[in-house]
Amino acid sequence: MSTQIDLEELTKIEGHATLRLRVDDGRVEHLEIRSLEGSRYFEGILRGRLYSEASEIATRICGICSCAHCLAAHQAIENALGIVPSAQTHELRRLLNLGESIRSHAAHLYFLALPDYLGVPSTLSIALEQRGAVERAIQLMKLGNDMVRLLAGRDIHPVSVTVGGHLKIPTQEQLTGIRERLEQLRPAAVATAELFNSLPYPELHVKLERFSLYSDSEYALIAGSIRSDEHEFEQRDYGKFVSEYHSPEQTANFVVREGHAYMVGALSRLANSKELLSSDAAALLRAGPVPQGLDNPFLINPAQAIELVQNFDDALAILSNLRPEPEPPPEIWVQAGHGIAAVEAPRGVLWHEYELDDTGHILHANIITPTAQNLRAMEESLAALLPEVVHEGKEAVVAAAEKLIRAYDPCLSCAVHFLNVEWL
Amino acid sequence: MSERQIAVAKKLRVGFYGITGCAGCLESVIFNEDEIVGIFNLVDVQAFPFIKGANSHEDLDVAFMEGLVASPRDLETLKEVRKNARVLVALGTCANTGCIPAYRHYTPLENYEHLIKEKEDDIKDVPPSPIDTHVPVDFAIPGCPPNGKEILEVIKAVAAGKTPRPYTAPVCIECRRKGNYCLLELGKPCLGPITRGGCGAVCPSGGFECWGCRGQTEDANLPAFIELLEQKGFSWDFIKRRLRTFVGQKTPDLEPLRRALEVEKV
Ligand code: SF4
Ligand code: SF4
Ligand code: SF4
Repeated sequence: MSTQIDLEELTKIEGHATLRLRVDDGRVEHLEIRSLEGSRYFEGILRGRLYSEASEIATRICGICSCAHCLAAHQAIENALGIVPSAQTHELRRLLNLGESIRSHAAHLYFLALPDYLGVPSTLSIALEQRGAVERAIQLMKLGNDMVRLLAGRDIHPVSVTVGGHLKIPTQEQLTGIRERLEQLRPAAVATAELFNSLPYPELHVKLERFSLYSDSEYALIAGSIRSDEHEFEQRDYGKFVSEYHSPEQTANFVVREGHAYMVGALSRLANSKELLSSDAAALLRAGPVPQGLDNPFLINPAQAIELVQNFDDALAILSNLRPEPEPPPEIWVQAGHGIAAVEAPRGVLWHEYELDDTGHILHANIITPTAQNLRAMEESLAALLPEVVHEGKEAVVAAAEKLIRAYDPCLSCAVHFLNVEWL
Repeated sequence: MSERQIAVAKKLRVGFYGITGCAGCLESVIFNEDEIVGIFNLVDVQAFPFIKGANSHEDLDVAFMEGLVASPRDLETLKEVRKNARVLVALGTCANTGCIPAYRHYTPLENYEHLIKEKEDDIKDVPPSPIDTHVPVDFAIPGCPPNGKEILEVIKAVAAGKTPRPYTAPVCIECRRKGNYCLLELGKPCLGPITRGGCGAVCPSGGFECWGCRGQTEDANLPAFIELLEQKGFSWDFIKRRLRTFVGQKTPDLEPLRRALEVEKV
C-alpha cells in the first residue's frame, strides 16, 4: 500500500524546499530533497563585471553568510591578481568571520534547532517561559552582529572589506569595547555549549567523509588546505575535489566527490581540527556526545555550540594582540589571472573561483555553497534515519526529518523558505 | 471580554514572507536585537517561516514580502499573500526592483547559458521581476538590505494606524552629516548624489562608495551625473552597469540620455 498525504511545510530553515517521500508497506521507497528557490544565476551575472565588483554582487547570494561570500570573493580575486594581504588584514578578516559565526550559530541553535528539542513551535513564542534562553540568544546574536558591523561597515552585505585590504580600520577603542563584551558574554557561550551537550539526540550513524579547511597554526576559518580523515587537498586543486550534477526536480546543483556524498560544517571542522581547540572548548567537546558520535549528523548542533566557545576564544586571542595601524589598501596591478579560494561559512566550506581577463573583467565565475555540498549528505542521512521511524506514522516521520534537516542548518536560498514534505 | 482580551484582539495581524531572495531583508527585521521581542509583543506575528514553526497567511493586516519573482511558485505565493493581506509591503530591493538577480536582463544569454538546466514546471524560470510587476503593492521599503530601524518605524507606524513617510533626500545629505570624507571627490564612482537616502549613508561611512541600492531620488539629474562620472574617467559601459545593478529595469532609459549628452557635446 502506498501512502500519499497533503504537504506539510518545513519551516525554520533558510530557503524553500520539499522533501519527497514514498512509503510502501512501511518501507521508504523513494526519498529526495527538492530545493524550490528560484534560480538567480549569479555566476552569469558576474561575467563582464570588474574584479573589484565581484564581492558586492556575490554577497547577495546569501544574507545569512554574506561575510563568508565577501571573504571568499575577495580572496579568490586576490589569488587571481597575485596579491597577498597583510597580517593585519588577515586578522581583521578572521575577526569578521568569527563575528558571523557567533551570530549565525547563536541564531541557529536557539531559534531554529532548540524548539525541536523543547517541543515548541518557536523560541520567540516561548519568550515568557524561557526568558533566560531568549535573552542569551539575543545577546550572543547582537555581539556577533556588532563585530560584523564594526569590521564590515554593516551587519549584512559587508562594505569595508576590499581587494588587498580594509577600507576602514577599527579604532583601538572600538576593538577594546568588543573585547570587553566578549569577556562578559563568554559564560553565555559556555552555557550554550553545556545546554547543547545535555540534549537528548537521536541515535544515527551515517558514513560520510567530513571535509573542512585545515591549518596547523589556527582553528582554520579563512585559510588552509582542505582536509578529511582520509584526504588532504590544496585549495587550487578544487576541480579534482568537487563535481556537480543536476536533476530536473531541483533548482540547486548537487555536489559530490567522486560520486559520493560528503559533509561540511561544524562537525567536520571539529573532527579535523580538534587538536587546535582552546582548552575550554576541548574540555566541553570531551564532556559531550560529539567525540563518540562524529558519524551522527544530529550532533552538528552540539558541535556548533562548542564552536561558539572556540569562536569567543579565537576572537579574544586576536584582540589581545591586535594593535590596528592605518594601512591603505595596496595599489592594484590589473592583469589576467585565475583564482580560487575557500572559506568556512558557518555551514561549511564555501568556494569561489574567478577567471579575469587582462583588463580585470570577470570571464568566468563559479561558486559552490556549503548547502549544495551537504544536500546529498542530508538525503543519505534521511535515508538512514527514516526507516527507523516510519512505523511510528507520518507525524513522527515529518518531525524526525525536520529535526535532522535543521541540524544541518541548510541555507537553501544559497544552494539555489519552507520545506514541504510531499508524500508520493 | 476583559480589558486585556480587548487589547489582544486589537493587535495587528502581521506576516513576514520571502520568495526568491537572500533572506537578508528578513534578517534585518530580526537583527533589531533590542526590539525584536517587543515587536513580537506589539503585533501578532502570524508568519515568519524563517524562525517560526506554525505559520498562517490568513486574514492579515500587513504582509511584508522579501524577494523577487523568479519561478511560477514565487508568483503563486505572492498572489496568495496579496489576496489575504490588507496592506502589502515590498521589503527590500529585490521586491522593489528585482535587485541584482534582475540584472540578468542586461547580460547576454551566453553569460549564463551554461547554468540553465531542465526543470520541472513549478520551478521553471520566469523573467526575474519585482513584485509590483505582478500584484499591487501598498508600501515600499527600499534597500539591499533595508535599514532595520526603518522596518521598525514602518511596523510601528502601521500599528498606530499611520501611513509611514518615505525618505526622499539623497544619500549625500546623511553622508555629509556624518562628516564622511567624500569618496566622489576622491575619484570613486559614488552614486550618493542621485540615490534616495534613509540608510544612514552606511556604505560611504564604511569607506565604500554608494551603489544606489535604494533607487534614484525623484529629482536626480542623471545626465549631469553621468557627465560628471565620465569626466572622472569612468567609461560609459561601467557607468551603465553600475547604475543598473540594483535598480535594474526601474533605471530610466539610459541610452537616449546618453545620446542627448553626445549631441550637446557636438
Ligand atoms: S534585497 Fe538584498 S538583502 Fe533583501 S533579499 Fe534581495 S539581495 Fe537579499
Ligand atoms: S561619499 Fe558619496 S554619498 Fe557621501 S557625500 Fe560623497 S558622493 Fe555623497
Ligand atoms: S549608501 Fe547607497 S548602496 Fe549603500 S545602503 Fe545606502 S543607498 Fe544603498
